Amino acid sequence: MTSSEVAARKVLRYPHPSLKQRCQPIPPGAELDRVARDLLDTMRSFPGCVGLAAPQLDELVRVVVVDVSDHRKATTSHGLLVLASPVVVEASGDELGREGCLSIPDLTANVRRATRIRVEALTPAGEDVSIEADGFEARALLHELDHLDGILFLDRIASRADLFARKRYA
Amino acid sequence: MSAVRSFVLTAAGRDRPGIVAAVTRVLLDRGVNIEDAEMAILRGHFAIVLILSAPDELDEAQLREGLQAVGRELPLEAVTLSAVEQLAGGSPEPTHAISVYGADRPGIVHGVAEALARHEVNVVDLSTRVIGDEPIYVMLLEVTLPPTLDNAALDELLARVEQELGVDVSARVLDRDVL
Repeated sequence: MTSSEVAARKVLRYPHPSLKQRCQPIPPGAELDRVARDLLDTMRSFPGCVGLAAPQLDELVRVVVVDVSDHRKATTSHGLLVLASPVVVEASGDELGREGCLSIPDLTANVRRATRIRVEALTPAGEDVSIEADGFEARALLHELDHLDGILFLDRIASRADLFARKRYA
Repeated sequence: MSAVRSFVLTAAGRDRPGIVAAVTRVLLDRGVNIEDAEMAILRGHFAIVLILSAPDELDEAQLREGLQAVGRELPLEAVTLSAVEQLAGGSPEPTHAISVYGADRPGIVHGVAEALARHEVNVVDLSTRVIGDEPIYVMLLEVTLPPTLDNAALDELLARVEQELGVDVSARVLDRDVL
């Protein structure tokens, strides 16, 4: 595939109302494949981006992509995950960690997240998957899954001292 | 034991190295103790709030003169010193953290504060940031709920604020980690 075929799309920024919506399930099929493809291409177009959720592309469906495999904070990784209708079925531990979001540029904050989770979801082909993730991968998944319910990391800041202005490199 | 007098000192000036050193030099020279301090840079201006205690024999006029002199030299835009009655042992423990964010417009801070005040919710800590080219206003508060208000009532009250101000608001119970 040539680079011109990569469909990196515009990422919505808060206060776009789509970022505060609860998203709907989407069945396997061409539409899901398209959303998954767009999410993947868009995620890949941002260096350092480890995850993206469908509402960030103004698609109000329950699909996320996560890939922490190249990230220095990741201790374990499942590589690229493309998940439809993901649900957290188990969560334990908690830890503060710094998060940012393409939809809220210029800010990062310390957010408390579970350190070990199990997520059940469908693959784009419609197969059931169960993923056990920990550490940074768990954090990335939880952050993206929040997007599907209109929850942003600003809703989870542990205390006001945990809000940071992201450095801008002109 | 000699009696102690208490003061609140506020100061603000364009940020540069040496402000804290200069102000605290005057305090130290007069035997004034800093009981509590909060300092921050807000948009390039350094702001200081200090709670002070001083021995009863303090020459208050001299202290004021010293502070004014430092204010002229640095310079500072403002220095105030106010005597206060009595210092509390600590601050009320915050029970909840509240996030408020939305497109920037006048009245967000007031609207939220007004709603909280109506229900006797005490603001313990508040800070704001404005970010982005299309400005987003982010305000984080730590508050103490009165016994008359429970979590559900707080959520209800904040949902109304959300509607009225057109901002997004969420609250969570603060857990205090003890290590």
